[in-house]
Amino acid sequence: MAHRPSPARLLTATAATVAWLVTAGVEPARAQTLTVVAPAAPGGGWDQTARAMQRALRDVDPHGAVQVENVPGAAGTVGLARFVSAERGRPDALLVIGLVMVSGIATNGSAVSLADVTPIARLTGEHEVIVVPANSPFRTLKDLVNALARAPQSVSWGGGSAGGTDDLLARLLAEAVGVAPAAVNYVAFSGGGEALAAVLGGQVTAGVSGYGEFAQSIAAGQLIALASSAPVREPGIDVPTLRELGVPLDLANWRGVVAPPGISAAEQAALTARVRAMVRSPAWQETLQRTGWTDLYADGPAFRQFLLAEQARIVGVIERLQAGRAATPGGFTPSPATAPAAAAGLALALGALLAWQRRGSGTSVAASRGGHGRIAAVTVACLAQSLLMPVIGFIPTAAAVFATGAYALGSTRVLYNVVIGLTVASVLAAVFGAGLDVPLPMGVWTR
Amino acid sequence: MDPVNAFASLAEGFQLALSPANLGWGLLGVTLGTAVGVLPGIGPALTVALLLPATYGLDPTAAFIMFAGIYYGGMYGGSTTSILLNTPGESSTIVTAVEGYQMAKRGRAGAALATAAIGSFVAGTLGTVALTVSAPAMARVAIAFGPADYFALIVLAFVATASLLGSSRTAGLLSLAVGVVLGLIGIDRLSGDARLTFGVPYLLDGLDPTIVAIGLFAVGETLALAATPPGKSHVLPLERTRWMSASDWSRSWRPWLRGTLIGFPLGALPAGGAELPTLLSYAVEKRLTKYPEEFGHGAIEGVAGPEAANNASAAGTLVPLLTLGLPASATAAVLLAAFQQFGLQAGPLLFQNEPKFVWTLLASLYVGNVLLLLLNLPLVRLWVLLLRIPSPQLYAGILVVATVGAWSVHRSAGDVVALTVIGLIGYALRRADCPLAPVMIGVMLGPAADMHLRRALAVAEGDWSALVARPLAGGLLLITALVLVGPTLWRGLIRDRTATSRVP
Repeated sequence: MAHRPSPARLLTATAATVAWLVTAGVEPARAQTLTVVAPAAPGGGWDQTARAMQRALRDVDPHGAVQVENVPGAAGTVGLARFVSAERGRPDALLVIGLVMVSGIATNGSAVSLADVTPIARLTGEHEVIVVPANSPFRTLKDLVNALARAPQSVSWGGGSAGGTDDLLARLLAEAVGVAPAAVNYVAFSGGGEALAAVLGGQVTAGVSGYGEFAQSIAAGQLIALASSAPVREPGIDVPTLRELGVPLDLANWRGVVAPPGISAAEQAALTARVRAMVRSPAWQETLQRTGWTDLYADGPAFRQFLLAEQARIVGVIERLQAGRAATPGGFTPSPATAPAAAAGLALALGALLAWQRRGSGTSVAASRGGHGRIAAVTVACLAQSLLMPVIGFIPTAAAVFATGAYALGSTRVLYNVVIGLTVASVLAAVFGAGLDVPLPMGVWTR
Repeated sequence: MDPVNAFASLAEGFQLALSPANLGWGLLGVTLGTAVGVLPGIGPALTVALLLPATYGLDPTAAFIMFAGIYYGGMYGGSTTSILLNTPGESSTIVTAVEGYQMAKRGRAGAALATAAIGSFVAGTLGTVALTVSAPAMARVAIAFGPADYFALIVLAFVATASLLGSSRTAGLLSLAVGVVLGLIGIDRLSGDARLTFGVPYLLDGLDPTIVAIGLFAVGETLALAATPPGKSHVLPLERTRWMSASDWSRSWRPWLRGTLIGFPLGALPAGGAELPTLLSYAVEKRLTKYPEEFGHGAIEGVAGPEAANNASAAGTLVPLLTLGLPASATAAVLLAAFQQFGLQAGPLLFQNEPKFVWTLLASLYVGNVLLLLLNLPLVRLWVLLLRIPSPQLYAGILVVATVGAWSVHRSAGDVVALTVIGLIGYALRRADCPLAPVMIGVMLGPAADMHLRRALAVAEGDWSALVARPLAGGLLLITALVLVGPTLWRGLIRDRTATSRVP
């Protein structure tokens, strides 16, 4: 190895670059458009709602620009927290919310809640259906509920993720018939399709999901629909409602929109009017038709009331569920915390064992002189990129990563590497932006 | 599905796989795959992970045709580097580096490259035939698997992977445990509880497997090279070399077939991919050869057998991946993440729910093998040029691609931070001489094992005997116990064999 950059020099150079990049950075301005935040990754129900709104709002007002922003995470609570802090007082932003977010707020102990936003309107929803396989000993909801009341653990419920609509309905139903929500034997599957297989295969007693997931199997006679969670029978769905069967409960996987906190009453009214006009547009009606979403439109005081009541009952059931779980001792069954504790303990024990086995043998590859400094430089460059990319854009940060990386691997031609880095970054930006429709952040330079 | 039906489905698959667009994706895949196979340190697992965010908008069939091309291509390309550089391009071509490099040093690089490429083609094609026949049958059987069966299967995969890969069982198990910890981070799907998040909101959604793969393989590798920069390597010349002679052919064809027979079933077992079958094939060829004196000095059988074995095992690995959602290698683990990204459920229902996708993918594997043969033999000089890219610029470029790839998964800067931290973990594991494939398998299967276990117990109302009550689950757990105890015996056997004819 000929010349090797010293770690001290490297760190100084990296730190200087970072400092320059930070001072060069300015908060990027956002164009005057309506932003609809979907607190989920592209593809899911909230994202579809946001994009359908974008289409319909453009339909209503072709001159008003509308953009969709995805802030995924933790049943929407990450998006909610960001929305409350970052958009406060802005009358040009909407957040898509829904039932699962209410449950996420309760489960994750979120610091912000739906009391922190300005309600605008409830838009759509889907009701649930409770099914059993055709060969089940239970023929009616009453049979199932009796068994549940007698021995809650003997009735296993299959549905989607924990904390989702399916889980909530099973627990709310149990509470409504006098069974503690923590006693419900709910088996979560990754989606309706997987749950359907478990119900058909007789692995669980009953299934809970949106009507759409089970419709085909109900029509084919493989499943018996015992009850629907709609308040009144919906057209085309010939299933008795829970209320008809004497259980005072209805539940919809609803979705709505809210505005940031701190906007004036006039601004709230203007946003509500805009959403109301959107709901009447042909584009929105066409979306409802295509997706099979039920129109559950409500705004103003009615929506505010609904939101408060929904938050109260969902938070209530989840708190009782968590309290009940904590209180149940029982024999040893793995809790959610068992696997992480076991795996982490095993990793530590194996690490110690490996160190002991290798003591003095020098099996591990030692870093050569200055190795730690070079590792630190590469690490800092990557972290600096994550921080600075939104501010000064992808191309300069990527070029800095390239130059640091090449320097750390022994190339001392800094200027040459910066030029190559800029070229590589520009090509990547072009490929991602034009070729793949994933525009990389360009920072403050583009206005 | 009866054989006639399967044949009709495959024919339909060929029609779709041979459409200009899909042929284009396949060609792109095999080209990329060969390139990353040639470049040491970059493998198909990393490449597929890097491409995943970029293919979000693509039709899943097209994306998977490309990924499968990368997977198969990596197996072909790895041998070129092993033969000409004595550095394995992939972990599965370690043995090729022994005999292949010796052949190249004696001016027989052409013959070594040819027997590797043709052997890969033969084994890849035969392996794909075996995959086509066995996967639908396996899927039919697997439909009846319950949570207890899946749990037992995953435990077996864990133990097998950790025991058979890497320098020691402890190292393999450590990597696996690290992977399981990483995989368990986030909200638990069964209870909704947050696990191992330490109050960091970013961690609630868990680590994206794509980011773990990129961090381990791209950032970790770059950091390892930064710590101890490699010396200049010398690529052996290809000039004035001859392809295979008649005697080379007659000495190669049996090893090809034996390699296939060893590679496919071992690849199909959840035991960590291509390393074991290639080692085993090498040992078998060394035992059966008529020219034992050539072994260690460039015996063509020692290239032909292991190269066939690694391609056949690539096909074999797809059996548990497609029919059970069970990845047996790092690349398969990333492919499983790809299934999840596209909302496809790898498992017994895949053949029922997505017949067009599956059969087109299978057909594309045959097409890919032909493309790879055409791409590798005549164009080998072009691939060798890749080895002339200086490593500082090569890895700096990979680092940049890694950060942009990680960012584009969710368009979030937090992912780049996670990428860097996982890179440091990957570097630490490398320093400790721990294999990386078990980490990926732990990430993908750790949460699944936990979920199936708790699901099985929930359905059985907490009765632990349910885990062994079903014959399949009980049998698999018994095998697991044997694998756990057996290696001492097994290692003794292997040591015996290598002791009689030591590799130089």
